[in-house]
Amino acid sequence: MKIAVGQGSCGTAAGAGKVFSLLENAINENGFDTELSITGCIGMCFLEPIVDIYTDDGNLKRLVKISEKDVPAIIEYIQTRDINKIINLEVSPEDNEFLLKQTRIALRHCGIINPEKIEDYLADEGYMALKKALTMSPEAVIEEIKSSGLAGRGGAGFPTWFKWDAARKSQGDVKYLICNADEGDPGAFMDRAVIESDPHNLIEGMLIGAYAIGAKNAVVYVRAEYPLAISRLNKAINRAKQSGFLGQNIFGTDFCCEFTIKAGAGAFVCGEETALIESLEDHRGMPRLKPPFPAQSGFWHKPSNINNVETFANVPWIMINGGPAFASMGTEDSKGTKVFALTGKIKRGGLVEIPMGKTLRDVIFDIGGGIRDNKKFKGVQMGGPSGGCIPAELVDTIIDYKKLNATGAIMGSGGMVVMDESTCMVSMAKFFLDFTAKESCGKCIHCRIGTKRLLEILDRICSGKGKQGDIELLEDLCNEIKNGSLCGLGQTAPNPVLSTIRYFRDEYEAHINDCKCPAADCTELLTFEIDTEKCTGCTLCKRNCPVNAISGEVKKAHIINSDICIKCGKCKQVCRFNAVRVF
Amino acid sequence: MTEYLKITIDGHEIQVQKGITVLEAARTNGIEIPTLCHDKRVEVYGACGLCVVEANGSPKLLRACATKVSEGMSILTNTPRVISSRKCALNLLLSDHVGDCKAPCSLACPAGTDCQGYVGLVANGEYKEAVKLIKQKLPLPASIGRICPHPCETACRRQLVEEPIAIAQIKSFVGDIELLDENKYIPEILADSGKKIAVIGGGPGGLTAAYFLRLKGHSVKIYDMMPQMGGMLRYGIPEYRLPKDVLDKEIAVIRDLGIELINDFKIGINASLEDLKKQNDAVIVAIGAWKSSKMRVKGEDLRGVIGGIDFLRETVLGNPPNIGNRVAVCGGGNTAMDACRTAVRLGAKEVTIIYRRTRDEMPAAAIEIDEAEEEGVVFKFLTNPEEIYGKDGKVTGMKLQIMELGEPDSSGRRKPVPVEGAFERIDLDTVIMAIGQQVVPEGLEGLELTKWQTIIADEMTFRTSAEGIFAVGDATNKGADIAISAIGEAHKAAGVIDGYLNGENTPYKKPFFVEKTVKTEDFTDRERKPRAIMPGLTPLQRKHNFKEITFGFSEEVAKSEASRCLECGCNDFFECKLIQLAHEYDVNPAIFDGIKRKKHVEISHPFIEQNAEKCVLCGLCVRVCDEMMGITALGLVDRGFETVVSPEFCVPLAQTNCISCGQCVALCPTGALRERTQGVKSVPVEETVTRTTCPGCAVGCQIDLCSIGNTLVRALPAGESGLLCAEGRFGYGSVQSKDRIVNPMLKQNGKLISAGFNETLQAFTENINKIISRFGSGAIGIAISESLTIEEAYLAFKFAENILQTKDIFTFGINKKRIVNSLGNSKTDDIFTKMFGSAFHQGINSYGLREMLSIQQRDDISKYKALIVFGDELPAEMPVFEFLAVIGTTIAGNASDADVFFPASTFAETNGTFFSSPGKVLQVKKAIHSKTVMENWQLIQKFAESAGDNSFNFNSVELINNELLKL
Repeated sequence: MKIAVGQGSCGTAAGAGKVFSLLENAINENGFDTELSITGCIGMCFLEPIVDIYTDDGNLKRLVKISEKDVPAIIEYIQTRDINKIINLEVSPEDNEFLLKQTRIALRHCGIINPEKIEDYLADEGYMALKKALTMSPEAVIEEIKSSGLAGRGGAGFPTWFKWDAARKSQGDVKYLICNADEGDPGAFMDRAVIESDPHNLIEGMLIGAYAIGAKNAVVYVRAEYPLAISRLNKAINRAKQSGFLGQNIFGTDFCCEFTIKAGAGAFVCGEETALIESLEDHRGMPRLKPPFPAQSGFWHKPSNINNVETFANVPWIMINGGPAFASMGTEDSKGTKVFALTGKIKRGGLVEIPMGKTLRDVIFDIGGGIRDNKKFKGVQMGGPSGGCIPAELVDTIIDYKKLNATGAIMGSGGMVVMDESTCMVSMAKFFLDFTAKESCGKCIHCRIGTKRLLEILDRICSGKGKQGDIELLEDLCNEIKNGSLCGLGQTAPNPVLSTIRYFRDEYEAHINDCKCPAADCTELLTFEIDTEKCTGCTLCKRNCPVNAISGEVKKAHIINSDICIKCGKCKQVCRFNAVRVF
Repeated sequence: MTEYLKITIDGHEIQVQKGITVLEAARTNGIEIPTLCHDKRVEVYGACGLCVVEANGSPKLLRACATKVSEGMSILTNTPRVISSRKCALNLLLSDHVGDCKAPCSLACPAGTDCQGYVGLVANGEYKEAVKLIKQKLPLPASIGRICPHPCETACRRQLVEEPIAIAQIKSFVGDIELLDENKYIPEILADSGKKIAVIGGGPGGLTAAYFLRLKGHSVKIYDMMPQMGGMLRYGIPEYRLPKDVLDKEIAVIRDLGIELINDFKIGINASLEDLKKQNDAVIVAIGAWKSSKMRVKGEDLRGVIGGIDFLRETVLGNPPNIGNRVAVCGGGNTAMDACRTAVRLGAKEVTIIYRRTRDEMPAAAIEIDEAEEEGVVFKFLTNPEEIYGKDGKVTGMKLQIMELGEPDSSGRRKPVPVEGAFERIDLDTVIMAIGQQVVPEGLEGLELTKWQTIIADEMTFRTSAEGIFAVGDATNKGADIAISAIGEAHKAAGVIDGYLNGENTPYKKPFFVEKTVKTEDFTDRERKPRAIMPGLTPLQRKHNFKEITFGFSEEVAKSEASRCLECGCNDFFECKLIQLAHEYDVNPAIFDGIKRKKHVEISHPFIEQNAEKCVLCGLCVRVCDEMMGITALGLVDRGFETVVSPEFCVPLAQTNCISCGQCVALCPTGALRERTQGVKSVPVEETVTRTTCPGCAVGCQIDLCSIGNTLVRALPAGESGLLCAEGRFGYGSVQSKDRIVNPMLKQNGKLISAGFNETLQAFTENINKIISRFGSGAIGIAISESLTIEEAYLAFKFAENILQTKDIFTFGINKKRIVNSLGNSKTDDIFTKMFGSAFHQGINSYGLREMLSIQQRDDISKYKALIVFGDELPAEMPVFEFLAVIGTTIAGNASDADVFFPASTFAETNGTFFSSPGKVLQVKKAIHSKTVMENWQLIQKFAESAGDNSFNFNSVELINNELLKL
């Protein structure tokens, strides 16, 4: 029997560490012949902590939402092999659909292998892709990637082979291969999961890339907020080096490559490749002008190639299975699979890898199980703060680069935030804009001040002080910001605003014209009222109101004085008769 | 070999060098593309986005600064999309720009007079410059300075410290100086345009319009109905406030520009408006409002009831009405005050003001009210004329309704309401109605009027309903206002009419300025300095005559009062690229009104002031400091909207390794970084630039000395890529430093004290003769500074040879200590040595002195009995001499041992040449007049002359140079 406790950041945050040590103590004390290990993110973050038990006959018993009090039952099961002990802890068949409906390539080892043991990785053809690549010419490797149709998974979707080819053809002895692991979108955690759960896969992918472009140095730029990822990657690099997979004369060939890790200090704009390079060079993270592109003049002004974690994570699979196998998945425009971080008002949130060509409905309803609390699906924000919002009526949109772009959203790095009817779309746009406005590096006027002004306009709309013409002003300013900004941050920052205006203009209008928030989300625009039919005069609301805005006699209907009411919602919270209406 | 490409910019096909940017290509072909963040001294950065252009084949806007030209490229620099993007960027920048382009005083002035400018100029003693500046907007400073109710002072921020600056009185101060000056300022008059203009009305509006139209080269005649020009300034303002001779003199200056003044001319009688229009290319109507408003009370037609302005006018004309002993003046404005005080002066025993509100609501200036009261005028507040009683058709008294204050009305003042049944009766001989003025539009038939009988004139074009006829001042629209308003309209109208005469139709447009709001708390650090009190006659001295009651400021008081100015307006106004672009692109930042960054002003540095609220984050300062100077004293801190230029960890700039080169200031496109003016008050007015040579060391940097009048305000590296050390950039301050000695001094009882020039010269000559007779000719050494011009050095040399009969003339070498000190950082010596080489360690003229005049450096001076030193560089250790003469700028160090001291002129105050490294002849150009009696070369000639040698008869530096070159 083998037990694996999911210890990605998601599991650890849910308490997997404690579960693991309790299990470890019990196993040691009792001298069970049970192998206990950790594994990375299983993907079902909504069910963490997860304990996977591989029975002696090779079956997987997946125990979910395990807390300390569940540990004795597991111990009993280990002792007795009595399935009844843990039957209540097992994942439900519906929840299990979450994984069963996925196709995992970049995540193929995640939640299965122990990320801290190279042996686990080696057991599944680990480093064989590299070995194979080294028997090929770099040009042939690039050709293989070209045939796979792999495109940059960081967001832009630029063909990977093209960048590699450009870097390869660039003049110069010294070239750099850089992995962008500065995953900064709120709600995105794909890259973190890959590094935490399968670091060797990333290393191998990068080595193949380095070989292809002719780089002897590889750098992983990873955000400092990912300490677990950094530590696992460090361990993996050391182990790979000890095992001869990186360093000098890899696999006995002339190919040499050294790895370094650079921890980024948390600036979102450093996810932009030229800003990332500036940061690598110990400058303030600010985008450079393009051209020259990094492939011509990048890190230390040498030819450099930068790919995202997920892009590299696909590379070993492609080298082993061949480009055409990858290309056989997906649509004409977008090949292979894509990982999404599914979050928001969704029943089952977590990491989802699906072939391109599925629809949003497949992800949100089939895999994600639909909306929580049986509320109405309203829209989904794709691509984080740079992306856009796709409304419910477009839920059958096919997931590929072109089709998503046509909606005004983007594929992005894979953030997928699901919203229900209680989400105000103006507030939602404000949330994302607040993020980009704060993360602007300050270089371009349009981005630095423009996003601040957008935010102020959204702020006044949400607080009922919107003016006639504000929607047009927002649209104009959004377009100017897109036109006038140097890098992707500014060019895409207005997307949440533009896409919500495009699909939810009526909500903006309701805020401005009627001072109403249709989603009843913007506090300042809410009205609290007691339904006199339902109110029993229990006085509970009156007693709980912090500002004495409620009056009424016992056993008679109460009234809220809207001039005094501060819209804190306490009355609604305490009312046992659902008599407080908010609109 | 240089390769060339063909590209098209805005439809023009041009050939450009391969590898250059679109911006460079455009500029070399005379096409201006705006930018705030680009400078060729630093790497391309692309932050401001103002240089965007469209190019064929590119869906995106391209930054011209960063886009290289390519064959066949077609660039459009001014498409609607490009303009929209630039305008948006400017609007965004300005929505976060905190400051005052112009000072509030100037903005409050209806004529837009640059109050801060002339106040600052007066503080610096630049009176002529102040007059020039005032006369850009207003041709009557002495008159207006006396009578203007000064909205400027109402807006003056100094009142947040204690009291506003006496701006108006400072104006009349310089106005008066100008009137006494025989060399009056006459602005340039453009060549005769051949156009004729008739101005109807010779009051402040008409005079101003005539003045400015005449300057444009037009032929102007003023027609006025009264016997003399001046309008209400003459006939509405009493002599004791504005003496007629002041007005006469100012009008004479206007007349002398070639304007014909025609008096006793009534439009409609002497000629019709139609006639004037036919005879002229344009007519401007500025007839004022000459009729007193009626009160509509019973008895108003009785004899002894007279209108306020009628009363004042008749008094000026020498026919004062017989007012008797008891006079009531109805009204609370300035005319009422003028009338009651005139009545006092005409001998009335009891003069009463009838005013229906209280003192607080009175529109008259507070000083007028106070002075009237001092002169015995009685104020009956909260009373209103109800009926005027009379007997035999003559006034005997008045019934007054008692009032009380009710709710505030639309003007914000509490409305007076009658107290029912409460009346008062007073006995009177005369009632003067000073409640308002009306226009008499007789003879102007054909012009459309308002319901108040004023002329309708467009507020931006000043056009009336008749073609070619314009109107300004009290006669138009809202009716009577203060004189400066009429002047302001007339000045603007002159611009519009000039355009009209050239076939253009450009209405006046109020320019956009950034304005800032301040609070009392912002000025808590200011030292309190009360407003100067205007000296004048006592109430007793003044109440029986029409003598002017104020004496005017003395020079000392005026300068000290002017120096109280807080300098609100931006000092970089005239070179701010942001405001230039704002005007060019017709911005409207109000659409983006929002939070502005609040940052402090960094003033720790002796030479550089940083005001982050004006920063546009172009990064030029950061980059030039890093890329060009290698210093990295500045960087960018924080993110997003909060990003700010600051030294790392936000330490004060003075605590960084800043070397005070001033490059950051030079590149800053706004007023975010600026030089701290050295030794004088900084005044944001246009500067005169003189290119000369820095005397600091043998590098001989070319510098542009910027001056206003006789005041140096800045020194800039000459040319775009120039570089200066702190001595070159800020060393000019010594020219006008407080320590500068400008008068000769003589030692008496062991101490140097100021003395007359002849006295000092005599002492100098006598001592020299004495030493020579006692010790022989070799006993006197003569040392000169290496930074004297070669001409000055030559004269000193010649003086030594001819008078002292010695060739023993030498230098002490460069005083490097001063340069290094001025940098404030010991490390910087090395940096500049690296940058400028060994020349940095030698005096500017050391080579020239050596080669041309065989003047060497010397350490041992102990053999001399006496020493004459030209320059401030004396050795720290000196023997005691029988006689020591110093010709220097300050008495520092050993100069205090001098027996005689002559003030020396400086490099900024003289012409000449420096002969630097081999073959390098550098010009020294006089930027300002010497603060001393004479320049050094003239001084040495005096020495020679006094010693009986008349061979030093050079009239100019050029002649010295000619003789020198013959050697």
